[in-house]
Amino acid sequence: MPADIIKRDGTLAPFDSVKILNAISKANKAVVGEEMSPTDLLYLTEKVSKALEERGLKHVEEIQDVVEEILIRFDYAKTAKAYILYRAEHTKIRNAESYLMDIYKKLTYAPAIKEDIKRENANIDGDTAMGTMLKYGSEGSKFFIDNYILPKDASAAHLNGDIHIHDKDFYMLTETCCQIDLIPLFKDGFSTGHGYLREPNSIESYSALACIAIQANQNEMHGGQSVPHFDYAMAGGVIKTYRKEYARAFTSVLRIAGGMEKSEAAARARAIMGSLAEGPRMGSIDAYGKSLWQAAPEEWRPLVTKAHAYAAEEALYYTDRRTYQAMEALIHNLNTMHSRAGAQVPFSSLNYGTDVSAEGQMVVKNLLQATKAGLGNGETSIFPVQIFKVKSGVNYNPGDPNYDLFKMAMEVSALRLFPNFSFMDAPFNVQYYREGDYNTEVAYMGCRTRVMGNIHDPSREVTCGRGNLSFTSINLPRLGLEAHNDLSRFFALLDERIDLVFRQLLHRFKIQSAKKVRNYPFLMGEGIWIDSRKLKLDDTIGEVLKHGTLTLGFIGLAETLKALVGKHHGESAEAQNLGLDIVRHMRQRCDEKSSETGLNFSLIATPAESLSGRFLALDKARYGSIPGITDREYYTNSFHVPVYYPIKAFKKIQLEAPYHALTNGGHISYVELDGDTCKNLEAFESIIRYMHDQGVGYGSVNHPLDRDPVCGYVGVINGRCPRCGRREGEGIPVEKLEKLRRQYPNTPRWD
Amino acid sequence: MLMKSRLFEEIEESKERKGTKDDKKSELVGQGVGFERTRRITGYLVGTLDRFNNAKRAEERERVKHV
Repeated sequence: MPADIIKRDGTLAPFDSVKILNAISKANKAVVGEEMSPTDLLYLTEKVSKALEERGLKHVEEIQDVVEEILIRFDYAKTAKAYILYRAEHTKIRNAESYLMDIYKKLTYAPAIKEDIKRENANIDGDTAMGTMLKYGSEGSKFFIDNYILPKDASAAHLNGDIHIHDKDFYMLTETCCQIDLIPLFKDGFSTGHGYLREPNSIESYSALACIAIQANQNEMHGGQSVPHFDYAMAGGVIKTYRKEYARAFTSVLRIAGGMEKSEAAARARAIMGSLAEGPRMGSIDAYGKSLWQAAPEEWRPLVTKAHAYAAEEALYYTDRRTYQAMEALIHNLNTMHSRAGAQVPFSSLNYGTDVSAEGQMVVKNLLQATKAGLGNGETSIFPVQIFKVKSGVNYNPGDPNYDLFKMAMEVSALRLFPNFSFMDAPFNVQYYREGDYNTEVAYMGCRTRVMGNIHDPSREVTCGRGNLSFTSINLPRLGLEAHNDLSRFFALLDERIDLVFRQLLHRFKIQSAKKVRNYPFLMGEGIWIDSRKLKLDDTIGEVLKHGTLTLGFIGLAETLKALVGKHHGESAEAQNLGLDIVRHMRQRCDEKSSETGLNFSLIATPAESLSGRFLALDKARYGSIPGITDREYYTNSFHVPVYYPIKAFKKIQLEAPYHALTNGGHISYVELDGDTCKNLEAFESIIRYMHDQGVGYGSVNHPLDRDPVCGYVGVINGRCPRCGRREGEGIPVEKLEKLRRQYPNTPRWD
Repeated sequence: MLMKSRLFEEIEESKERKGTKDDKKSELVGQGVGFERTRRITGYLVGTLDRFNNAKRAEERERVKHV
């Protein structure tokens, strides 16, 4: 027998006949009717070794050829076939391994600007060490999932672009997103796994802990995090701050006007204020002053009157100021704090606008003001995604208690792109709404995900503690092309795809369900997810996960319609009707699956980022460049009218609104305005109001938002910066910048 | 002889500093610096177009206004 062999990488290794024996044995065991005895095995191994020696063969591939040959010669046809298959399978994996290594090389050596794979998600910096490390993990995981975990049909369908399993790299690990209720979390404090945080007692601490909670939860999930009722959640911090400021100012008056020592004044103030069961609130401060006066002993009353008047004024002023600073800090934090190995900013979303308490209003007002002011050099903050919840009777009409906040929200959005607007009055949202109960107000994740209905437990159709478990999207345009203008064929193909997606979602759900509380120390351990407080550390989470959603998505309705009837829904009413039929059908299938399984299957208008290009590229390779279908670089997002198609804002809203009602797993509509129209607040408001009236669930207005980092100008920049006059890349004299600074004090410094 | 006060030194120093600053006036700043373009994709904002993938860059380029 040979002394050594040549491995695939060219290195030498000692020859070991046991390895040949094992390989033959394995192949033999895989078939029936050709059973080999141990003697047979030894005999065949001996024959192989001898043949190798005679012919002087040493290379692994040559050795395998000889094994095949010997098996066939001695009439083990089935075993030989199994061996060949086994060999082919391993070759496939090895090829895939080199494919994976090629990806690693790209990730390592190519700058993000050159490699699309490093820009799959625009909010991850693929050039940094941690960004690259995250991609190594992600690509390695995808390889593992494709080859060893996924059912073969789902894996093949994903790879060839029939479907897209989102966040596939996290398949074995976690869920998408969660709507965090900060109120119970803050009560009695919480732990992030590295030390315990006491219950916060000021608006500064409330805002800081809100960021920490978002960050901690983001690290345990693969999607974003939202706070569904930010104003309600922060109001408690404003109350505490106000009371402290009031007590401090009240005590100061006792010291100065009452001539008391510090400790005496503090004790006296405590005694006077402590005589009332409730502390002061900014919304009812006059009544509080009266009660205080009544409760005070006769001889103290003049001083109490004085102290109250001063304290009420001071407390309001300083609480407002501190709230602004807390909101400013929150925005800075959420734009700069990192999660997931330091490569990503948490994908945070804040919903607000419906808390009518004076404290809640103060939070929203200051958050909007801080957003308007921008970051350190006046940059637009890209996180948190802000969502203003529009509700008639609360903020939609003049005379509503928060109408001024709605106006302010539009003004800020016209400048900074945020907030977006969600509409509580849309029929599919208002059906859950109960006045004053934040848990019944539909919230949206920044990306558009929506979780509200609950077939698993209809008494818990609530916002907080729930989220999406996973979602998978269908390549609709490909079905449109495959149907060859035959609608019944299209729907048959669509049903097949939907069946596959449902099977795959359930496969993933089974994996998710087997996880334990200890896998999610914050999400489950601190009771963020609904009902997880009832679980112990080693309990599985399957039961509580049933409150989440399993979601079917789609992309490219416009191109699908082009393929089926030659026009998209912006171009013809017939196409619009068909578009609605298609999406209605998908929704119906989700509803049926929900009834069948008792799980929340929902339909999402997929937020496709890398997917819009991936499906298109695969289909262009398969079908060539077909006008209106595969002739661009992307498929149109979900049910949107194509971005390149000229259409009036109102018409676009009118066409897209009905799809919002059908996509219960999430949706968004955009209108694109130019800079000037956007500055016209009446025009801006008319668009938001039209969205509301047409039954849109979630929408926003896009407008160009540019910034010149040299002079700090924010607005539209075409060729030249309107403020300093430079073109992209040009320098301007220091002198000019200094002159501008006199007019615009926030001009960045370059010395 | 009068002792030279620290105050005078400071004034001298500040004159010098000003001098160097005056020289700087003819200098240019911002050469090679591009404009930042914030856009919305998939519901999120992105601070710079450089981070967009190729498909989304194309999509952004082709967007038309709805007015």
